[in-house]
Amino acid sequence: MTAILTMGRIFRGRWLATAGLCWLILVALAAIFAPLVAPYDPLEFDPLVRLSPPSQEHLFGTDHFGRDSFSRSLYGARMAIVIGFGSVVVALVAGGLAGMISAYFTRLGHVIMRIVDVLMAFPALLLALVLMTLLERSVVNTVIVIGIVYATTTARILFGMTLKLKGEVFVDAATCSGAGHASILFRHILPNLVSPLLVQASFIFAFAQLQAAALDFLGLGLPPEVPSWGNMLSESRIYVTRASWLLLFPGALIILSVFSMNLVGDALRDSIDPRFRNDIKGV
Amino acid sequence: MTDAAPLLQVRDLKTHFTFRAPSTGVLPGPKRVLKAVDGVSFDLAEGEVLGIVGESGCGKSTVGRTLTKLEPATSGEALFRGRDILGLSAGAFRPLRREIQMIFQDPFASLNPRLTIEQTLAEPVRIHGLARTREEVRARISDTLVKVGLDPKVMTRYPHEFSGGQRQRIGIARVMIVEPRLVIADEAVSALDVSIQAQVLNLIKDLQRDSGISMLFISHDLGVVRHISDRVAVMYLGRIVETAPKAAIFEKPAHPYTRLLLASIPRIRPGRQPVVDLGEPASAASPPSGCAFHPRCPLATDICRSTRPDPVDLGNGRSSACHHAGQLLGEAA
Ligand SMILES: Nc1ncnc2c1ncn2[C@@H]1O[C@H](COP(=O)(O)OP(=O)(O)OP(=O)(O)O)[C@@H](O)[C@H]1O
Ligand code: SF4
Ligand SMILES: [Mg+2]
Repeated sequence: MTAILTMGRIFRGRWLATAGLCWLILVALAAIFAPLVAPYDPLEFDPLVRLSPPSQEHLFGTDHFGRDSFSRSLYGARMAIVIGFGSVVVALVAGGLAGMISAYFTRLGHVIMRIVDVLMAFPALLLALVLMTLLERSVVNTVIVIGIVYATTTARILFGMTLKLKGEVFVDAATCSGAGHASILFRHILPNLVSPLLVQASFIFAFAQLQAAALDFLGLGLPPEVPSWGNMLSESRIYVTRASWLLLFPGALIILSVFSMNLVGDALRDSIDPRFRNDIKGV
Repeated sequence: MTDAAPLLQVRDLKTHFTFRAPSTGVLPGPKRVLKAVDGVSFDLAEGEVLGIVGESGCGKSTVGRTLTKLEPATSGEALFRGRDILGLSAGAFRPLRREIQMIFQDPFASLNPRLTIEQTLAEPVRIHGLARTREEVRARISDTLVKVGLDPKVMTRYPHEFSGGQRQRIGIARVMIVEPRLVIADEAVSALDVSIQAQVLNLIKDLQRDSGISMLFISHDLGVVRHISDRVAVMYLGRIVETAPKAAIFEKPAHPYTRLLLASIPRIRPGRQPVVDLGEPASAASPPSGCAFHPRCPLATDICRSTRPDPVDLGNGRSSACHHAGQLLGEAA
């Protein structure tokens, strides 16, 4: 109940962000119910209808194997969500822990944060490319690599915020009550970081889509047989003149979804605790 | 009340902060040492309230924070029941945290905004194993809330739902729930509205008296200190310059700085001009030679500029670190 009220407060008067949220809910529903909604098997070849344009039977047309683009797009929504959530979890857990621990134990923190600095010196895509060339193409590896890329920014942000919270009087008070390091970090500091973490999560979710699409496009992301929006783009790029719909639909889906996630992220960011507004600004 | 061996004996306590001066060029700035507390000694008897006064920046809070090990001591010792606590590791000190508690100044900053009152108060109870079951914990919280004048029903709420005075009562409950023997109150009422300062001060006084708690009451407000203390220690630039029973210090200060402080309280002498200029306080980063107070002292002589006065026992439980303390006492008599 309070969750609904809070949502109402965050999105009130923000029509664009609300539209974005609705779109994301639609994508989530498509992902969940893909097997029920999809008119065809996304992997099934049908050589008779290769490269047919959008029609009643094939809403988004078919690709060079005659696979139904609409069904593949629905399953692609699944991959988008798996990649998004997976990367968020990896980035927040790894980056969050690194940032919090670095700020709390300053000596160890110097070492960890220098490593983070080095990783951050690489452009995100380049870092992902380098890591992917070392690993096999798989869903799990893609999630881990994208997660690591965004763990760096998460670590930086949480480092600053934890440093600030560590100096709060309530932390001294908890120390005087006898609380140990773990309790201070996870019972006292972490709950105060929930809202900035949520904002961070929404942006990572969005950027992970772009990263994943770029990796797929370069042939380094998900295995080619997996129906993802990025793979759909990648496979059909040579047909751009003959079958432009093959690029149009997955491209539009990626752009709409990323844009929606950014809108939602902005709304969350503006509703955040004013103490952290500066920390989260450049995310 | 003060016959027994002291509960706390502080001996030559020093807490220095090292920091780098701002850089002027490419090289990092030079290291500086700020002697926030620089040789403080006092005794605190069972059930006694010692007020610590002094102007802003003289190191009062640092004394309190060092004794609760929120700040590491540079040297010296603090014997709690005869055992030095400053050298103890965090783990070895934890059981003693139950006995040594602190009330913080800012009631808005000292409660975690994300925890309910029940969660905040349950924490020390659990850590120190003072109750076994959930019901026992809750019963203890209820009892303590009643003791500090709050309705036990408030425990399900969050700190932002309370006023400053109520929050400070919650802070006091967090201290009282573990039945401490020594409470360090750092400006415990300074952040509150004047109208509720007296209520909270009386609450602290009552709780202290009922449980026979020893207390270090730190404040820059002499009126408040006068109300609650048995003895008063006056600090100046990291040192105690005068210690005396409350009545003596307010009637017959034995240090020129104490005199100046007393004269700066308007209500002590209603007839006279209320405001006395305290002058520019010296900085702890670069204390003057000899007696640190000499640039502001009306009685300063050559010896004051060259030799630092040590505290001298003047009898009747008072001591003063001033070369001319005798002259002051004689004159006032
Ligand atoms: N953690 C710290 N690092 C560096 N310097 C500090 C630190 N804590 C306090 N100081 C300095 O030590 C000196 C004494 O500070 P302290 O807070 O003990 O004074 P105080 O008497 O409590 O003053 P106030 O009445 O303003 O609270 C000040 O000059 C302060 O700037
Ligand atoms: S020692 Fe001298 S300067 Fe210091 S307080 Fe006494 S008279 Fe003043
Ligand atoms: Mg202070």
